[in-house]
Amino acid sequence: MKILRILTICMLAGALGRGQVVDLKHLDRLAAKASETADVTLDGSLLKLAAKFLSADEPDQAKVKKLVAGLKGIYVRTFEFENEGEYTEADVASIRKQLQSPGWSRIVGVRSKKDSENAEVYLKTDGPDGGLAIICANPKELTVVSIVGKIDLDELSELGGSLGVPKIDLEKPKALNKKDHD
Amino acid sequence: MALRRTEPSEDFVDRVLARVNQPPPPEPTWWERLAVLLRPPRLQWVAACIILSVMIPAGVQYRKEQRMRAEGEKAKEQLMFAVRVAGNRLHRVQQKVLEMGRMETRL
Repeated sequence: MKILRILTICMLAGALGRGQVVDLKHLDRLAAKASETADVTLDGSLLKLAAKFLSADEPDQAKVKKLVAGLKGIYVRTFEFENEGEYTEADVASIRKQLQSPGWSRIVGVRSKKDSENAEVYLKTDGPDGGLAIICANPKELTVVSIVGKIDLDELSELGGSLGVPKIDLEKPKALNKKDHD
Repeated sequence: MALRRTEPSEDFVDRVLARVNQPPPPEPTWWERLAVLLRPPRLQWVAACIILSVMIPAGVQYRKEQRMRAEGEKAKEQLMFAVRVAGNRLHRVQQKVLEMGRMETRL
């Protein structure tokens, strides 16, 4: 049992060391408590397929196409809760712990008392892949984004501003659920 | 009723020998062979086989492309959504950092 645990930790550390996916599986159980959930898992092949279908004629799509050209995976988990305290600090700490592995560095950490929102941005710059992780947490909402590959932060932020607040039109994300895809 | 033995006609041997000595019929050319296939009712079978051999793979390919297209469109929607969420959260963080910077400058 101990050996199995050590092996799992080694594999996880190895995967993170190579700029692989941040493990978000433990967040899946929050979906049952959340009033709204969005779960997007786009790994290498699916990401390439998606990029093929982006139109070069549509300005937004063209920008996204350019942005994701060098990426190997995008993983998003968003949970909105009816009440506060539906997720615990341990849920977030588990992600933070993964992002403390070598290669990752926290570039921004914002703690706002006004709207009780904490936001952190982690960047992986060394190694061949690179990566970006964003954790946004407020008492009734938790969003975790993990991107594998080198990405231009300014372009991504610009897109976030220009594409507007993704109306977490949660009917849509539910339809986009990975389970549906499978 | 038992079969009765009958003698062959007198020219039977000559006729058999003449047939044996005849040169073999010429080999049919590829066109003649093809022409045989194009005579009814074989023609209908050949046409049906050709149509099926074209239609079935075309149908399979069409279904495959349709499925691929549906998957691609779905993946595209997911990608657009993921980029929006990621970009928006990053944008919000940047805005907050800028806000804090401005407040510090004022102080």
